[in-house]
Amino acid sequence: MSWSARRMLPALAGIAVVLGGCGDSSTEPGGETEVISRVTLTLTPPAGAALSAFIDDADGNGPGAPSAQQGALALARNTTYTGTIRFENRLENPPEDITTEVQAEANEHRVFYTVSGAGVTVTATDTDGQGRPLGLRFTTAVGATPAAGTITVVLCHYDNVAKPASATSCTAETDINVAFNYTIAN
Amino acid sequence: MFCRPFRPHLCVALLTLVCGRAPRVRAQQAAGASRHLHGVVVDSVAARALSGALVMVEGPQLARRTRTDDAGHFDLHELPAQPLRLTVRLVGFAPLTRTIDLTRGDVRVTVTLSQATVQLSAVSVTGDTLADPLSQSVAMTTLDAEALSRQRGQTLGETIKYVPGVSLIQFGPSIAKPVIRGLNSQRILVMNSGLRQEDQQWGTEHAPNIDSFDADVVTVVRGAATVLYGPDAIGGVVRVDRAAVPTSGAKNGELSVNGFSNNRQGALALGVAGSGLTLPWIGRTGYRVRMSSRVAGNGAAPDYFLSNTGFRELNGSVALGVSRGWGTSDLLVSRFATELGVLRQAHAGSFDDLQRAMTTAPRDSTFRYDIGRPSQQIAHTTARLRTLLELPHGNHLELVYGLQVNHRREFDNHGALRFRNVPAFDLRLFTNTVDARWRHAPLGRLTGTVGTSAIYQGNQTLGKAFLIPGYDLGQGALYAQEQLALGRVQLDVGARGDAISQTTIAFADQGIRSPAGTRRWNGFSGSLGVSAWVRENTQAAVRVARAWRPPSVNERYAQGVHHGSAQYELGDARLDAERSRAIEATLKHTGSTLAIDAAVYENRIDGFIFLRPREPVFTLRGTFPAFRYAATDARLRGAEAAVSWTPLARWQLTATGNAVRGTQRRDGTPLFDMPADRLTLQSRVLGTSARLGRWQAGVGATLVREQDGVPNGTIYTLPTAGYSLMSADVSTQGFSLFGRAVDLSLSITNLLDRRYRDYLSRYRLFVNDAGRDVVTRLRIPL
Repeated sequence: MSWSARRMLPALAGIAVVLGGCGDSSTEPGGETEVISRVTLTLTPPAGAALSAFIDDADGNGPGAPSAQQGALALARNTTYTGTIRFENRLENPPEDITTEVQAEANEHRVFYTVSGAGVTVTATDTDGQGRPLGLRFTTAVGATPAAGTITVVLCHYDNVAKPASATSCTAETDINVAFNYTIAN
Repeated sequence: MFCRPFRPHLCVALLTLVCGRAPRVRAQQAAGASRHLHGVVVDSVAARALSGALVMVEGPQLARRTRTDDAGHFDLHELPAQPLRLTVRLVGFAPLTRTIDLTRGDVRVTVTLSQATVQLSAVSVTGDTLADPLSQSVAMTTLDAEALSRQRGQTLGETIKYVPGVSLIQFGPSIAKPVIRGLNSQRILVMNSGLRQEDQQWGTEHAPNIDSFDADVVTVVRGAATVLYGPDAIGGVVRVDRAAVPTSGAKNGELSVNGFSNNRQGALALGVAGSGLTLPWIGRTGYRVRMSSRVAGNGAAPDYFLSNTGFRELNGSVALGVSRGWGTSDLLVSRFATELGVLRQAHAGSFDDLQRAMTTAPRDSTFRYDIGRPSQQIAHTTARLRTLLELPHGNHLELVYGLQVNHRREFDNHGALRFRNVPAFDLRLFTNTVDARWRHAPLGRLTGTVGTSAIYQGNQTLGKAFLIPGYDLGQGALYAQEQLALGRVQLDVGARGDAISQTTIAFADQGIRSPAGTRRWNGFSGSLGVSAWVRENTQAAVRVARAWRPPSVNERYAQGVHHGSAQYELGDARLDAERSRAIEATLKHTGSTLAIDAAVYENRIDGFIFLRPREPVFTLRGTFPAFRYAATDARLRGAEAAVSWTPLARWQLTATGNAVRGTQRRDGTPLFDMPADRLTLQSRVLGTSARLGRWQAGVGATLVREQDGVPNGTIYTLPTAGYSLMSADVSTQGFSLFGRAVDLSLSITNLLDRRYRDYLSRYRLFVNDAGRDVVTRLRIPL
């Protein structure tokens, strides 16, 4: 017994030296995932100043909730606005405009506007390369009666499925899903 | 009647106890010391007793022989108290030789003979790592080459799914994770050729990166019965061993070809082993080279294909061995590489998308071999250097160094990365392990193993999206697993101390913040078991065990949407270690017609880490159901049994059943991911004929009860209906084909092409599980 014990200790010490190397841990910055941290809705009346509102998510993919809507959409009765939507990644410096990417991949994208509430109708006015609605530009027709409600903006991404010629809601992947409040003044 | 056969041994045991220590060394040489060796010889397949087997015992100036009686028993009296060589032979079976040490007292053995097949399976009687002193009383199942050959060509998980106490978490045909006694992932230890398999095992969609063709023996230890491998075997251990590299004997090889109809999978494996070259100064050398490949397309449910569930695998290993007077040494290098698809519907960008994927019919009518997005590419490379020194007086010292490099890349189907060959998750895990195990010579009636092990691990996070941060992990351990034989009672004691340090590296990008920090944990694990032969063929045991594990990095730092479930998962860096206390009772009976292996257990886990629902996370993408890793006190209770009955020599009936209930102790809420109750029945006829070889044919049924013990709060835990499946198989070994004795089998699973969804299938929210599968297997010795 003592024989083996005497020879065992140096052997154990020897193999401890083998440890090391190879395990070089690191965390590299990512930065290439598609993050949209701000959505801005702009409505321009035929005459007068444009209305603009945005929603920010300062921590992007993090668990923190998006900000409340900044800027009010106080719509005038019996007016048809020209609208645009803008998607940005403001976590980058300088901020990255994702809208241009959506425009470039128009055949695979569509922006849906769903109104809950009365008095507002949103109609896409632009199309992709194959004549299907895109929705980065649109008109917002406002009715005659005072009301309040929300416009939900869904940026839909058709990757595996073909983009349909007409649709009322997203049947592929949802890249953005935010709601803007609006009011129709007296 | 109960005790009569044991009375003489008890006397001997008592005498030895009274005589004390001093005379023992002399008694070893003393000729007349009377020891008793008895036991039973059983067939490894049918578990039936074998009569007429020749049992030989040899030692210096000694050669005794006898034959087993009708019940497979043999009895040899008046043997000297010293290590002896036991050889058992029977026509049609591979001879088996092992050393039996009678120094410490009388010995009772169960000798399992494998039916003789080609040379390779005879070799596999000895694994290539130090055998563990476990087999007697632990709830354990060993699958030898023959048992494994019936599941060849499938994932490691599929290979062990019929073992009592085992279930599977599946992501289609390509990913199968073992669940033992209701626990999975980082609560199960997988030992691959003596190394702790380190392959990001915390992820439920991360299957063990092991080539099932390169496994010669697979052992499943249920529960934390041993401290030999780590403190964290809270659920159990899956031990995968390769046969020792031969350093004597002729060159041999084998070729396996498998076909699976369901996903049109082809699998091919080729192995060659040789030996005989004696090098000056080095000794006798040998080698073994193996290659295997599996290619599969989309799996098929009864009405449609499971889109994007194919896989491609290419594996290889080279082992070189040396043996000399001082012992043996070998170098093993192996590589496992796979590319696999993940079901397209099960990869959602938002919760709305997930719900749509669940409700719209997922119909894919075209079969494809192509693997699209989402997908995983994994390569696991292992290098192992192992030396077994045979020291004087029956001491053995095993030294193992292992390096594992795991490279996991997951390709997303979202955002900017969709069209680029850039992985969203890119993790490289480097693991160095050093183990020294000393299997000491018997100290009186005490045998066992004392060891120390160290791990140094580094993880690189290189992907474009955040999954876990980079980290360094160091672990050191000391342990002893000892066995004390007291006549027909045996005590098993294991004790282990571990110190673990985990240092994470800061990550900050796109709103994800993960801080740097170091945490350390120390802990004790151990087990204490008492087993007794209550009858000639029946052994009962009770065991208590403690085990623990620190929280894994994902449990501490996860932050983001899990695309497989569209749920937001958040880690908690302050989580403490999980600690388990378990008690189990086991019963093993090996008779001439009946074999039983049964266990009941209770496992209380303090600080059990699980995903607790919290308030939803709002992002610009939409609202996600959110979960935070949290700790609770849990209890798992269950039972498992395997019964085999051979009413006629050629007819065998087997039944295997599992049941487990996992709850939070505080309020009795069920835990997630508990397997449904399951019963598998099989009827088999066996025979031998000159033309067909050793043939068998069987039919089976698997009955699964509805899983209604589910927690509230997530769509992932909806109750899941029960189901029943039929299977059938015919096989033969030693079938004469073109002058070669080949093994041939045809088996059909889900014979009736039933539509079903298993609770542990991660695709069950979207699609049915796979339908009928016709599997052909051919093995040709070269």
